[in-house]
Amino acid sequence: MNHRRHGPLRRWLPAGAYRSIRTKLLVCFLIVTLIPLLSLGALSYYQSARTVNSQFGRYGENAVAQLQQQSDSMLGRMKQMSQTIYSYLLDPAHADLGSNPPVSYGEIMEKNDFESVLRSLANDQTAGIYIITPSGYYYGENNLDVGKLAGILAWKSVPVTNSGPSWLGFYMQNHAISASEQAGPAVLGLAVPIRNPGGAQDGSTILIEEDARELLRMFRQFEEDTKAHLTIQAPDGRTVYESSESFTPRDNDIIWDKTLSVNHWKIEARLPAKAFYQSSGVIRSNTLIVAVWSCLLAFGLAYLFTSRFTGRIRALKESMQKVSFGKLDTRVPVEGRDELGSLDISFNRMVSGVQSLVQEVERSERLKKEAELKAFHYQINPHLLFNTLNSIQWKARLEGAEEIRRMLYHLTMVLEGNLDISQELVTLERELRMIGHFLKIQEIRYGAVFQYKLDCEETLKRFVIPRMTLQPLFENIFFHGFTDGAGVIELRVLEQGEELLLELKDNGAGISEEKLAQLFAPNPEPRGRGGLGVRNADQKFKLHFGPRYGLTVRSIKGEGTSILIRWPKKEEHPDGERKQLESADRR
Amino acid sequence: MKKQVSLIVLAAALMMSLSACGGSGGKAETAGQGGGSGSEKTLRFATWDTGDALKIEQDIAKKFEESHPGTKVQVEAYADGFDQKLAAGFGAANPPDVMYMWDFPTYHQSLEPLDSYADKDKDLNIDDFYKGLFNYGKIDGTLYGIPAGFTTRVVYYNKKLFDEAGVPYPKDGWTWPEFQEMAGKLTDKSKKQYGFGVRAENDTYDLQGFVWSNGSSFISPDGKTIDGYMNSKDTAAAIQMFGDMLKNGSAVLTGGKGQQSGDDIFKAGKIAMWESGIWPLESFRQAGVDVGTVEMPAFPGKPVKGVLAESALSIAKDSKQKDLAWEFIKFYVSDASIKMRVADLPVRQSVVNELKKDQDPLYKPYYTMLERSDNTPAFLLNPKWNEVNRQLSAAVESVMHGSNAQDVLNQAVKDSERYMK
Repeated sequence: MNHRRHGPLRRWLPAGAYRSIRTKLLVCFLIVTLIPLLSLGALSYYQSARTVNSQFGRYGENAVAQLQQQSDSMLGRMKQMSQTIYSYLLDPAHADLGSNPPVSYGEIMEKNDFESVLRSLANDQTAGIYIITPSGYYYGENNLDVGKLAGILAWKSVPVTNSGPSWLGFYMQNHAISASEQAGPAVLGLAVPIRNPGGAQDGSTILIEEDARELLRMFRQFEEDTKAHLTIQAPDGRTVYESSESFTPRDNDIIWDKTLSVNHWKIEARLPAKAFYQSSGVIRSNTLIVAVWSCLLAFGLAYLFTSRFTGRIRALKESMQKVSFGKLDTRVPVEGRDELGSLDISFNRMVSGVQSLVQEVERSERLKKEAELKAFHYQINPHLLFNTLNSIQWKARLEGAEEIRRMLYHLTMVLEGNLDISQELVTLERELRMIGHFLKIQEIRYGAVFQYKLDCEETLKRFVIPRMTLQPLFENIFFHGFTDGAGVIELRVLEQGEELLLELKDNGAGISEEKLAQLFAPNPEPRGRGGLGVRNADQKFKLHFGPRYGLTVRSIKGEGTSILIRWPKKEEHPDGERKQLESADRR
Repeated sequence: MKKQVSLIVLAAALMMSLSACGGSGGKAETAGQGGGSGSEKTLRFATWDTGDALKIEQDIAKKFEESHPGTKVQVEAYADGFDQKLAAGFGAANPPDVMYMWDFPTYHQSLEPLDSYADKDKDLNIDDFYKGLFNYGKIDGTLYGIPAGFTTRVVYYNKKLFDEAGVPYPKDGWTWPEFQEMAGKLTDKSKKQYGFGVRAENDTYDLQGFVWSNGSSFISPDGKTIDGYMNSKDTAAAIQMFGDMLKNGSAVLTGGKGQQSGDDIFKAGKIAMWESGIWPLESFRQAGVDVGTVEMPAFPGKPVKGVLAESALSIAKDSKQKDLAWEFIKFYVSDASIKMRVADLPVRQSVVNELKKDQDPLYKPYYTMLERSDNTPAFLLNPKWNEVNRQLSAAVESVMHGSNAQDVLNQAVKDSERYMK
């Protein structure tokens, strides 16, 4: 049972007979609500977290791709610019652009033309274009202090022999000649050593600087947006850029990386897994909070509901207990029209049914008591009667009136059968014996003018028949059928399966058809004594054995009457008591 | 009852999933931010200035924004790339609305004629401007620029160095021989101190004052001939004088490759005399130099001539908001704005009178020189002057590096003749 399984639950549930059902209901309720709740919550968490994560992942990917694109376009522009300058310088037509400061008119013209080209190459982003010759002279805007170039970390490492472009990375442009000028903007530098053996510019270096503030701002924006740690590494392992915040790389970091197509710098954004999953963590905690609240709500509602539910059951149960203690006027207040409400209604109906039944029983019991008292009262009289009759019998014997004594004897026997109301069903043998006594009286009265033929097997005589059913029929024959007691009476008892068939036939006057019709009418007018006996007998059989059984009367006026009785075989109960009889425990 | 409860539970579950969705939505929103700020009008203003002068211009632009809500002035500092960027802007039909302008012969076709604005608008008070200033902004009688500032050129001298060398301060009416002599006395090579600073790359426009003072010019008054003008004896002599000073060591070359600008060297107290417009005056004072000004020296027996450097404001023909641009120009040449612009001489006589600038000994030479600036600059005489100027500039620069002025000027004239056809 749940008691055992939900031990801890039981402890804090209020004690009571209905704890078990309440616990079950609560558990049911919680299961019914929590399973969809938790699965829905889990589903929504996983789905939204997945969406958010993938979106954030894509966002980061795109953002890094954007940075890559921006950097690439800037680097590409610079590279393009350097190539333009490179090819300009390698043009033999510009061989006058020497390593030494131009002093002649022609050299200066050439220099001015070249610097004009440089100016036209410059765009909004350009922070500086210089061609620094081995002598220390340079072409470009006059604001460069060549000595200060050493302040650029990567400048020193630009190999003179290498003809490939050398990316200097990000640095502050503070190589201006003027002391008063403030430090320049952050720039990205590109140095391209010129290899042109024998040419005028061999050994010079093209320095191109672009304003990197916008790009760096984008980097910082990216770091701020994604909380990622950004590093840019040159293929030679030099770190070109790194987020200012300190960062310890871990194996489970989310990494977005791109490689610049221009110079193969690797942009790598590392985001600690914790930060990456932060947004989905927020969703998770939100989901959890809502789930917990929903659980509490569901529990509260379930508790409320079950307590209401079991409360009603308890009320019903208490009412039942009261009824069982005999308070039959108990009624349950009907709450609601649900199943419990109809249960209440049924209960109330049942209790009022029981109440009226009990009242009925009480009433009939009282009546029975009264009847018993009455019967007790009447019982005294038969004794007096029998004593008297016996006395008269003795007197008649003493007087020698043998006929009177015999009549009295038979009368006593008939009366005894009549008055003994202790048994309603008597054996056929007893009934036939009484008929014998009755016929003896009639014989004394009328003389031996009638014939009586009895055809009944001994084995059938043990079956029962309602008391005093045959005697009235015999009386009818003598009083209505025969004239002065003359005639033939035939009585036959046959066995038909489980039933007995009794035929009583006489050759008396018979019964007219209209009278025959009235015989079994529902409300017969009490006309003479004849009809009453037949109907009484019929009803007795129906009463004891059911409506199927009873009397059938056939009669032809002037030729006699034949009465058929059918009833089931039934033996006398050994102790002589009948359950149907309410007077069974009378003595 | 049970149905109701399960409904509530369902609602709670729904709420939960909704809140989850809301969470992710919120994230998406913060990711996609930005967007325009609406109906704000942006006026583009291009300037060639940098440093302090640029800062003043930006301050004026801010003041204009304050008095004209809903307007943003975007100050575009083109600096050295001014000509290239401006030409590119006109070429792309996307020029700044308002720009600094001096080279009207080159650009006037891309500029909005301003006569109708100036006539219509009494607020401008056109009579208050110095008369000669409008000549520079006119091409064929049509006005294309409103004078915003001007300067004449004077000689700055460092009083402390003069005192140290025991040389008396120069006075108006002095001559170039006196100047050269003083420069020699003020030079002390052990201290890397020189009497004068010569620009490595001179603007030939500025040199016109010396050429005019020596009775010559770069181009004939009708603007058709340079031979005999640009390479005349007097022109060559005026330019050779500076080359000679560099050779004899009484002057130092400034502003070239690897060289500090003359302004910086003067501020550092390493040159005693310096020739320039009004622009660096404020920075000299801020640097704590005890500076004096004096008008240009004269060539003996010849009148001193000055050259006027004027900056004007113009409106691009392609501007979409010319009325607003005009408002800005008016604001820029109003008394208040003029007073803010200490790097320029005031274009309005009323402001000069109010501030008593022409009484101030430090400022007086500028106004004296203004009276002497009645020659017409070469660029106004010939529309091809820019081409000619390339040769002239190279020639002058090579003189500073030791070439003979007459030779290189002859060469420059020869190279330039094809532009004069």
